[in-house]
Amino acid sequence: MDPVLIVLLYSSIAAFAAALGVLPIVGRPSPPLRWMGWANALASGLMLGVAYSLMVAGLEGRPLHVGGGALLGVLVVWATHALTGTADLDLNRLDEGRPEYGYQVILVNMLHAAHEGVAIGVAMAVSMSFGILMALSLAVHNIPEATVMTTVISRRGIGLRNATVLAIVANGLQVLNAIVTFAIVVAAPVLLPWALGFAVGALVYLVLVELLPESYRQAGHTSIALVTIAAMGVVVLLQGRAG
Amino acid sequence: MTSHPVLLVFVYALITAVATGLGAVPFAFMRRLSPELIGWANAVASGLMIGASFGLVAEGTGYGSLQTVGGGLLGVLFILLTQRLLGEHELEFGGMSGANARQMLLMLIVMTVHSFSEGVAVGVAFGGGMALATAITVAIAVHNIPEGLAISAVMRPQGVSVLKCAGWSVFSSLPQPIMAVPAYMFVEAVRPALPWGLGFAAGAMLFMVLVELLPEAYGRSGKPSVAVIATLSLIGMVLFQHFL
Repeated sequence: MDPVLIVLLYSSIAAFAAALGVLPIVGRPSPPLRWMGWANALASGLMLGVAYSLMVAGLEGRPLHVGGGALLGVLVVWATHALTGTADLDLNRLDEGRPEYGYQVILVNMLHAAHEGVAIGVAMAVSMSFGILMALSLAVHNIPEATVMTTVISRRGIGLRNATVLAIVANGLQVLNAIVTFAIVVAAPVLLPWALGFAVGALVYLVLVELLPESYRQAGHTSIALVTIAAMGVVVLLQGRAG
Repeated sequence: MTSHPVLLVFVYALITAVATGLGAVPFAFMRRLSPELIGWANAVASGLMIGASFGLVAEGTGYGSLQTVGGGLLGVLFILLTQRLLGEHELEFGGMSGANARQMLLMLIVMTVHSFSEGVAVGVAFGGGMALATAITVAIAVHNIPEGLAISAVMRPQGVSVLKCAGWSVFSSLPQPIMAVPAYMFVEAVRPALPWGLGFAAGAMLFMVLVELLPEAYGRSGKPSVAVIATLSLIGMVLFQHFL
């Protein structure tokens, strides 16, 4: 299969996996707050595991370029939050009255997914098997993330079916960015360490600014730390087996 | 000194312990510290320790990823266990009067027990080579400064002198040199234990970051500032490790 089609296939799998995130709330329209905390922690751990794997891949080449890319990644995510007025947004509020809140949550989720697209694309450029592993890790990660988002928007009167579609659509930029990043990095291999660094910086920053802070308020610190580390460990283990 | 690796391990781990005393320095100029500043110090420590544990895991998986992750599990369990034990003590102390003295004592006990796994981390890192060892030593030394800050922040307002604050801070980290040496000797003698040890150190450090440092940082400072500081510290640590 053509490499571009493989990138398209696996980033689409990642995007569509988000639909599964609705399952936990099908039976329970208002799941316990702990579930949201654990969903955030699970998503955090998988992202940190992916960031770790990309970092290790990047350090084999030009570490300073990886560092530069990472700074850029933090800067870009920070700027997208600042420019969209979502820097201090809590993505988990179930009782938020502001009408624009629902739109903001979907927007932030879209931006979040877009940055992960860079991670998928650049990992595919490193090697197909590595890229597939990273894409599948992020696909699993998209599930708990979608659980949190659909819980919030379904509380705001959006039906489950619409919420499911929105969860997939919110990951649309992930597919687009994966393909664009892959194409650019393959065309200009000097950019590979920069793109790897960008993904590492963006992913770590997203975990620390969006996912973990709220999770600590939703479940006990110990359970959050355990779920996060376990998810990281699984990615490290899979990567060790594959590489 | 290089001819006596054990001495080197001891000296490095002693440096991390002495760094804890630096946490008392700001209190020479002021009695109280803004909580935001302590939050940022925690964020720096979080980033450095996540970066350091990435380095430990990368080194460990070179010997075996299953063993490294297994070691990580043990590290997490160790911290969980010490937490449980301390948790019970916390209740006992809470039931007594003379809260301030007890609070100080409790703080010291908690910090001292923490230091055990940090000492193990320094010792085990020496098994992975000088570069890794230096990186982990720096990470733990810097991480110790906000611990010293926290100890001093409790003691100083009680009228304890700055010098004594520094002294107790260093005391709380003394298990580090004491634990580093046997940990190093163990992974040197039993080579297959190295990935387990590296994983143990990484798991323990990550768990401490996630269960204590980060939530504390978020509680004291705004989340964008914590996230920026921690991510940049992490990147800095990873590059620092690479160029050693």
